[in-house]
Amino acid sequence: MIAIEYFIGLSAILFIIGAVGVLTRKSAIVVLMCIELMLNAANINFVAFSAYSGNMNGMVFALVSIAIAAAEVAVGLAIVLNLYKARDTIGLDEVNLLRW
Amino acid sequence: MMYWSELAWLIPIIPLISFVVVGFLGNKAFKRIENGGYFAILMAAVACFLSLMVAFEILTGGYPGGTFIQSMNWMTVPGFTFNMGIYIDTLTALMLIVVSFISTLVVIYSVGYMHEEGEKKRRYYAEISLFICAMLGLVLSSNFLQMFIFWEIVGLCSYLLIGFWNTKPSAASAAKKAFLVTRIGDIMFMLGLFIFFVGFQGNLDFSYIFNNVDAFLGGNDLLTLGTFFIFGGAIGKSAQFPLHDWLPDAMEGPTTVSALIHAATMVKAGVYLVARTYPVMVETPNTMLIIAIIGGITALMAATMALNNPNIKRVLAYSTISQLGYMFLALGTGGYLFFHTQETNAGFMSGMFHLMNHAFFKALLFLSAGAVIHAVHTEDMRLMGGLSKKLKITSLVMLIGCISIAGIPPLSGFWSKDEILAVVFETGAENPLFYVLYIMGILTAFMTAFYMFRLWYMTFAGEPRDHHVYDHAHESPKVMWVPLAILAALAFGSGFALFFGFSEAIQPTMFHPHAETWTQILEIVFTDVLTYLSIIAAVLGIFLAYLMYRKRSINPDVFVATPARRKIYGLLLARYGFTAAYDWIGLKVVYGVAKAVDWFDRKVIDGIVNGFAIVTIKVGNIVRRGQTGFVQSYAALVVAGVSIIVILLFLFGGVI
Repeated sequence: MIAIEYFIGLSAILFIIGAVGVLTRKSAIVVLMCIELMLNAANINFVAFSAYSGNMNGMVFALVSIAIAAAEVAVGLAIVLNLYKARDTIGLDEVNLLRW
Repeated sequence: MMYWSELAWLIPIIPLISFVVVGFLGNKAFKRIENGGYFAILMAAVACFLSLMVAFEILTGGYPGGTFIQSMNWMTVPGFTFNMGIYIDTLTALMLIVVSFISTLVVIYSVGYMHEEGEKKRRYYAEISLFICAMLGLVLSSNFLQMFIFWEIVGLCSYLLIGFWNTKPSAASAAKKAFLVTRIGDIMFMLGLFIFFVGFQGNLDFSYIFNNVDAFLGGNDLLTLGTFFIFGGAIGKSAQFPLHDWLPDAMEGPTTVSALIHAATMVKAGVYLVARTYPVMVETPNTMLIIAIIGGITALMAATMALNNPNIKRVLAYSTISQLGYMFLALGTGGYLFFHTQETNAGFMSGMFHLMNHAFFKALLFLSAGAVIHAVHTEDMRLMGGLSKKLKITSLVMLIGCISIAGIPPLSGFWSKDEILAVVFETGAENPLFYVLYIMGILTAFMTAFYMFRLWYMTFAGEPRDHHVYDHAHESPKVMWVPLAILAALAFGSGFALFFGFSEAIQPTMFHPHAETWTQILEIVFTDVLTYLSIIAAVLGIFLAYLMYRKRSINPDVFVATPARRKIYGLLLARYGFTAAYDWIGLKVVYGVAKAVDWFDRKVIDGIVNGFAIVTIKVGNIVRRGQTGFVQSYAALVVAGVSIIVILLFLFGGVI
């Protein structure tokens, strides 16, 4: 059996890639994709701990998480589409109306 | 058995009904009957009848115990109770007679005098009814607080009636002046009440205070201060030095108002207040001394101002101030003497006696002057002259009034003035200052005789000076001269009350009055050299006026012949600069203080409030730069925050 450290290491790497992508990318689509990466990092943790502890709750939670992620992407893409319609751009650095 | 006194509570209520009915039931209902004038007369007459019966009962000892007291709880607060009630002793009875009787006559006279005022008459009758109500309420009050309330209402009525011709700027400003100047006195009265309230443990009832003066907490100095402040109220209301200047201006009102409010009744409220507080006042000789001095100064000063004024009503106004000064002189002197000798003296009695006589002859003089003004439509005596041929009755009754106020025996003014001067001279033995006051009193008597006869000669005697005015003059209608005739009879004869037990009836009980027969009184009066001195002073004054204004052997212009004399003449006309001083105080001192307060309010109070706002705005301006609007910088902050929390938990949270 693969040691749990590998799973946790993988999920940590994925989470950090996602977080850095969210904070640095300009494109809203890429930011959404990075959010998915972070979610999946969390899912990997769920499944890994579930498998190691023998408790199936983690597996179920991973499935719920995937369903919610799908819904979230739908909402996110709708926002991005509307943003594109309204502003002709999906660059987050150009969307800064909510400020002083 | 039923006593009239038990109906006394009705006395102020009846004119109040008149006020409400005439004042609020519209013009139409009273259009035919003088816009409510007859209704006001009826109510005043009923109140007068009741007052006279009550007064008669009290004065003749018809009510057991002599003092009728009735009171009920008005307001109960933990620790003290305020009462509303009726307190009638002989002093109240005297005031009831004077107030109700003169009120009734004046309202009757008003029907003639105010005839041409149209719909405004309704307001006049309503206000004068309210005044009668308040004045009767004032004299009937059973405690200081109730008295103060009525005191304020008569002040209000005075304001309203001085400003009756409210479209005339001078009348409007005179009304304001009267209200504001008397207000200074009212504040002092209120301070006096506070001191009494504290000193007498929250009980302001006359019946309690008069019997428990010794129970005053806070010592003699505080009591002196309290009585002084009470007298301060009287200074304002009775137009004494230095708050006298409103009364001449108050002559802007209708003459009936001047007669009723500013000569016969309201201005007597101050005298009444001092007389009412006498059982307390006599414990404080310093206050009494101040009262006597202020009375003496006022009497002399006001008399000098009356010497050269060309306005018939102003002369009478100064004369009123001067005579009120006499009353205070008498009251103050009597109390001072009583404190030092503990013996009965005539001070109190003569003051109240003068109050009564003055009410009659001054109401007569004012109403006669009103008849003259009504006839010639001017108040300037320089335009009158020779009117006795046209106004026979008026000139005759006015002559009676003039002789009476001048103090020629046996008319009423003589008896009271002589008693006052006698008491002042007697007190000179205790304190030489009173000799000075006596000389001032004699001088005042001389000047009084002079200016009254100057007034009479200028108005009625000689040749008409303005033929236009003269030709239009006409005798007043019956409704005006009948009240004049009644008042003339009283001005002639009210002094004889002295022979019918006036003295014993009016003396405060602590004086232990003893009866004197009328022969004894006559003997006392006419064996005294001082009596002849005051008569001589009066006769000299009349003679001088005769020489100057009738026979014209002395030209009145000698008084303005040299610059120095003209200066004095002008000074008198300018009322010793008091008007200017009031204006100066108002404009410079009060306005200056107001400006300073305004500055403080704007700069300091508002500055603090505005400062908070400005600081908040400035800080907000700086801090808001943090809101960049970039979603990623917010996210970075969240990540950084979470990271910091996690790191802190690792370091200090004991998670590992």
